[in-house]
Amino acid sequence: MSNPWIAVGALALVGVAIPLSMIGISSLLRPSVPEQGKRATYESGEIPTGDTRIRFNIQYYLIALLFVVFDIETVLIFPWALIYSDAVAEFGLTPVLGPMLVFLAILVIGLGWAWRNGAVRWVKSERAEIKSEL
Amino acid sequence: MIPAQTQTPLPDIIGDLLGFGTEMGPGETFIASFIGAALVGTLMLTMTALAGPWAKRKITAAFTDRYAVNRIGPAGLLIIVADAVRLLSKELIVPEGVDRPAWDLAPIVIASSALLGFAVIPMGNGIHLADPEAGLVYVFAVASIASVGLVMAGYASNNKFSMLGGLRAVAQNLAYEIPLVLIAASVVLFAGSLQMSEIVAAQTETLVSLGGVAIPSWYVFVNPFAFVLFMVANLMEVGRNPFDIPEAPTEIVAGYQTEYSSAYFVLIYLGEFIHIFLGGAIIATLFLGGPAGPVLPGILWFIIKIWAVFLFTQWARSALPRLRIDQLIEVGWKGMLVLALANLVLTAVIVGVIA
Repeated sequence: MSNPWIAVGALALVGVAIPLSMIGISSLLRPSVPEQGKRATYESGEIPTGDTRIRFNIQYYLIALLFVVFDIETVLIFPWALIYSDAVAEFGLTPVLGPMLVFLAILVIGLGWAWRNGAVRWVKSERAEIKSEL
Repeated sequence: MIPAQTQTPLPDIIGDLLGFGTEMGPGETFIASFIGAALVGTLMLTMTALAGPWAKRKITAAFTDRYAVNRIGPAGLLIIVADAVRLLSKELIVPEGVDRPAWDLAPIVIASSALLGFAVIPMGNGIHLADPEAGLVYVFAVASIASVGLVMAGYASNNKFSMLGGLRAVAQNLAYEIPLVLIAASVVLFAGSLQMSEIVAAQTETLVSLGGVAIPSWYVFVNPFAFVLFMVANLMEVGRNPFDIPEAPTEIVAGYQTEYSSAYFVLIYLGEFIHIFLGGAIIATLFLGGPAGPVLPGILWFIIKIWAVFLFTQWARSALPRLRIDQLIEVGWKGMLVLALANLVLTAVIVGVIA
C-alpha cells in the first residue's frame, strides 16, 4: 500500500495547477484597457471617500480569544473520542467518561461566565445600544 | 486496533493498470497518484461546472416559479460553455491600491484549498485517492483554509464592502468551526477511528431489519440529532443562506469578492461550489454511509448524496431569510456550541452504556 500523503500532495499540485491554467487561458483571451474610471474601488457608483485601511473596532476580539480556548479543547477531545469505546470496554464507564465530563464542565462554566459578561455578542457600539433601547 | 484495509486506494489501482507491480517506488507512486488526483479534480470540476452556471439557476427558477436558462442547447445545458468563455474573456480590472500579492493569491487559495479535501473522501468503486489514519482531522483542517483566502480577499481589495465581508467571514468561521468539529467527534465516538474508510466500514452493519429490508447503521439513523446539527453547521461552513452573511448581496454588494472580475471571479465562484460539494462529501461520509447504497454502483450513490446536499443548500437559499451577523454569533455561540457539547456528552453516555 502506497503512502497516502504522496497522493494528497499530488492533489495539491492538481489543485494549484487548475486555477493557474484558468488564469493563463484567461490572460490570452481578455482585453486590457486600464482607465482611471474603471480602476476606482466600487462604492455604489460614488467617488470613493477615505481609506479602507483605517483603525476599526474588532467586534469579536473576545470571541476570538474564546475560540482559541475551545479549539484547543477539540484537539484534546479527538484522541479521547478515538479510544473511547475500547477504553470503556477495558476500564469501565466512570474512569473514562468522568474526567472528560469534569473537563467539559469547566469549559461550560467558562462559556457561561463569558455569556453573562456579554463577551459573546456582536454589538458594542454605544450609538447602536442607545438606538436599540428606544 | 489494527486498521482493516477495506479496499485498495486509487493510486495502487492505477499503478497496477500501468504495470508498476505491487511494490511501487516513490516516483511511480507519484505518477500513479497524479493521474488519480487529475481524475478526482476533473470529476469535481465537472460537478461544479454543472452546478454553478446551470443547476443553481434551474433549481432557483423551479423554487420561484420562473424560467431559467433554456435558450442554448438541450435544457439550456450549453450555457455552461457560453458562461465559461464569457467570464474568462472579461477584462481583469485591478482596482487602485490593492495589496498585490495577497489580492492575486486569494482566489487561488480559495479554489485549491476546497479541492484538497477530496483527497481523503471515499467515492466508491475504488475512487479513494488517499486514506491516511488522520483523514477526518485532515479534511476539517483543509476545509477551513478557505477562510484565510476570504480574509485575504477582503483585506487586500482596498474596498470597504470587501473589508466588511472579510470581517464577517472571520466572525462566522469562529462561530461554526467548534460545533462542526465537536459533532464530528461524536461520530468518532461511534466509529472509533479517524480513518475515512473505517468510518464508512462501521456504517455497513445492519441496524434493524424492517420487513426483510435491512436498514444499515448509517449515523443519520443512529444519531439523527447530530445529523441535523451538522447540516446546519455545514450551511454555515459553506456560507450559504441563511448564513451567507460574508457575501450578503443585498447588504454589502458581494462582500469579499466585490473587486474581483474575470478569471479571479471565476476562481472564487468555483471555490465556493467545490466547497459546497466538499461539505456534501463530508456529510455523505460521516452520516450517509459514504458510497454505500442498493442496486446502483457506489460512485453513483456518492454523486446522488452530494447532489442531495447541494439541493438542500439551494432549497435553503430559496426558502430562508438571511440572519444578521449579530444573530449568527448568538446562534453559533449560544445555540450550536451548547447543543454540540450536549450531543457529545449524550453520545458518550450512550456509547459507554452499550459498549
